[in-house]
Amino acid sequence: MDNDLREDLISDLPQSIIETILTKLPIRDAVRTCALSSKWRYKWTTITDLVFNDKCVSSCYDRPILENKLVSFITHFLFLHDGPIHKFALSTSFLQSSPDIDQWLLFLSRRGIRNLSIELGEGEWFRAPSCLFTCSKLTHLELVRCELDPPPKFKGFLCLKYLNLQQILMPPDDIEYLISSCPLLESLTLSYFDGLELALHAPNLKYLILEGEFMDICLENTPRLIAVSIAMYITDDIAEHFEQSSSCNFDKFLGGVPCLERLVGQIYFTKYLSIGIDSGSTPIKYHHLKIIELYQVNFEDLNEVLAVLRLIVSSPNLKELHIAGPSNTAAAVVGSDLGFWEKECPTDYMFDQLKTVKITEVSGTLHEMGFIKFLLEHAPVLKVMTITPSAYVTEGRLSMLVNLVRFRRASAQAEVIFVQEQP
Amino acid sequence: MAEADREIIKPEMMKSYIWLQTSDGSLQQVEQEVAVFCPWICHEIHSGMGSSKTYPISLPSRVSPAMLSLILDYCRFHQVPGRSNKERKSFDEKFIRMDTKRLCELTSAADSLQLKPLVDLTSRALARMIEGKTPEEIRDIFHLPDDLTEEEKLEPIKNTIDDPRIRLLNRLYARKRKELKERERLKNVEIEEERVDERSVEDLLSFINGGDAESKVVKTSKTKKKNRRRKEPQKNTPGNDTSTSNSTSLSSNAVHIDKQESNGLDSTCHDAAACDHLLSDPGNPSKLPYIEEGFSPDDEFDDIDPAMQEKIDKEVADFARRLNSDWPEILSLGQERRRIPTAINCNGSLKRYASSASLAP
Repeated sequence: MDNDLREDLISDLPQSIIETILTKLPIRDAVRTCALSSKWRYKWTTITDLVFNDKCVSSCYDRPILENKLVSFITHFLFLHDGPIHKFALSTSFLQSSPDIDQWLLFLSRRGIRNLSIELGEGEWFRAPSCLFTCSKLTHLELVRCELDPPPKFKGFLCLKYLNLQQILMPPDDIEYLISSCPLLESLTLSYFDGLELALHAPNLKYLILEGEFMDICLENTPRLIAVSIAMYITDDIAEHFEQSSSCNFDKFLGGVPCLERLVGQIYFTKYLSIGIDSGSTPIKYHHLKIIELYQVNFEDLNEVLAVLRLIVSSPNLKELHIAGPSNTAAAVVGSDLGFWEKECPTDYMFDQLKTVKITEVSGTLHEMGFIKFLLEHAPVLKVMTITPSAYVTEGRLSMLVNLVRFRRASAQAEVIFVQEQP
Repeated sequence: MAEADREIIKPEMMKSYIWLQTSDGSLQQVEQEVAVFCPWICHEIHSGMGSSKTYPISLPSRVSPAMLSLILDYCRFHQVPGRSNKERKSFDEKFIRMDTKRLCELTSAADSLQLKPLVDLTSRALARMIEGKTPEEIRDIFHLPDDLTEEEKLEPIKNTIDDPRIRLLNRLYARKRKELKERERLKNVEIEEERVDERSVEDLLSFINGGDAESKVVKTSKTKKKNRRRKEPQKNTPGNDTSTSNSTSLSSNAVHIDKQESNGLDSTCHDAAACDHLLSDPGNPSKLPYIEEGFSPDDEFDDIDPAMQEKIDKEVADFARRLNSDWPEILSLGQERRRIPTAINCNGSLKRYASSASLAP
């Protein structure tokens, strides 16, 4: 079986196809193609998307050696590479901050890098060198466990569309400045920022994901926002701040997002939203809002219930609703205002598009059951309602069911599914 | 009556068709909605081509009729909007199952029609074929020539001479090496150690350091070269003089190049003894022991079995006889043959043949 007598199948394909194939290989295999034949010696050197991770080097148990191997591999690779580099991704669990990384960033900043992603090990956080801020062509930036210190002359990443910062040490003013100085920003993810009071100015922002201990979130200028996912953790400081707050958070947060299509709120988000709800008004309707998911809603707090109610009544085209009760308390029987529902919303209001409802972590409290009753009576096209009791509730399930069965249903096709086993 | 006629007309007849022509001249009629899935064809239609048989769209040369048929199958499935992602994925998995040659041709054809989703699909399949395989396996799958020198394989980016003659010799050398490997495998039970793919990528790129791993591999390759050169001429001694001298001239050239390479690698070689032996061998052909008489196999060739030994003895005797009879012709022959007379002159024991020749009538 002599290769010389058979026609070479692949080496003469256009370079763009070869590069596509090489980019779909792990980078180690891509480099190895240099030993295939004379035509393949340099094909790997022009690939533009580079993805490095711990699998690039053969494993061994000695960590310093492994670190050296990886550093050596990447350094040599960059040294032998030819042409522009569009994407550079590094994800490693044992490489820490080192001067080599600074040099790589300097190198990349000169090669027109567009997509940069760095996630280093858990130890000392990587302190980004100032050359990072000279990468003017960046469209995607993702940093994990990093210290960012933008230089005073920094004017922003003018092409940046996607920004993902996780566990970043950065002066709070700089964060707001960074976001507002990226005019094309479409997607923003901020995770584990502590104690941040965030005011967002991002006229093109479409997707927002926030997770952490935020003091305050104000969407000042985000008219194009389509999807939002917020997970707010609470500390004592933040709880105090909530109590002292005088403004209406509902308006502050949801006041300027008319194009919103999907909202996901977790942990203390509903609590946050409920602050100052009495003093606010609801001027806008969310005509595009189709999916609402609110978790850890405390039905005992009437303000929170009011916030939920106000939100769903302002969304005439709502299709899917998922509400979860607080996951860490057992049923609390609290006598309260039973006329609450009729008082707070117009009796003839109908959810004309609501098809799917999921209520989880139900403890069977009065307000929870009132909420379910309300939904069943006002959703004429409802198809499925799934109710999952909280794992902490064992004896109250029968009475829950008894109540459920009594509720009137506006929709004749509605299936009410009571889930017995936890999935 | 007219109404009945109108009712008979089926809806399919209302679909528009366009005409495509492949590089071999054959024409094909295709539903427009299927063909416009390819951006290139779509562009051509907007330029006004393809609406009739006399003005068909001439497809790029990389699109053969067989490839066109495959591409149209792909388009016909995917242009239907109602399909689920699962369905599409399942179709793609089945569609991709074909031999390597067709896969490469399909990639090329799809690229020329700018059908990016299909290029991505086929590229991914080709990448899956390359991933995790040894260079030999990859060369076998795609019929790549093994035309890199050992040096180039070990030090991939070093700027060696790009001489096509050297490339040809490397290929022949590689082929020979493969044949010998086969014979070795048949003879020995132990598996011969793979050379190239054991080298990790970081070693490939750390040639600047000239580390231990490198010299170790260099050493192994040198020892192998040494063995091989001995076996080559041994294999070639049967048969007539022409073939012998031609192959020895070939191996002498290969040896010559080895010497060049080994000179280059000398600086990194730690085993001086091996180097010396390597360098001294080509210069002293008299060392070729199989021409000598009184050659004892145990000294240098311990791995020769008795049956082989007998054969060698027979060949030696045969060769000696031929030498005796053809002596004058050998002396007058060209450069390639010079080795044999010089061998005889340098080696004392062979003079016996020369003298006996002169004594013979």
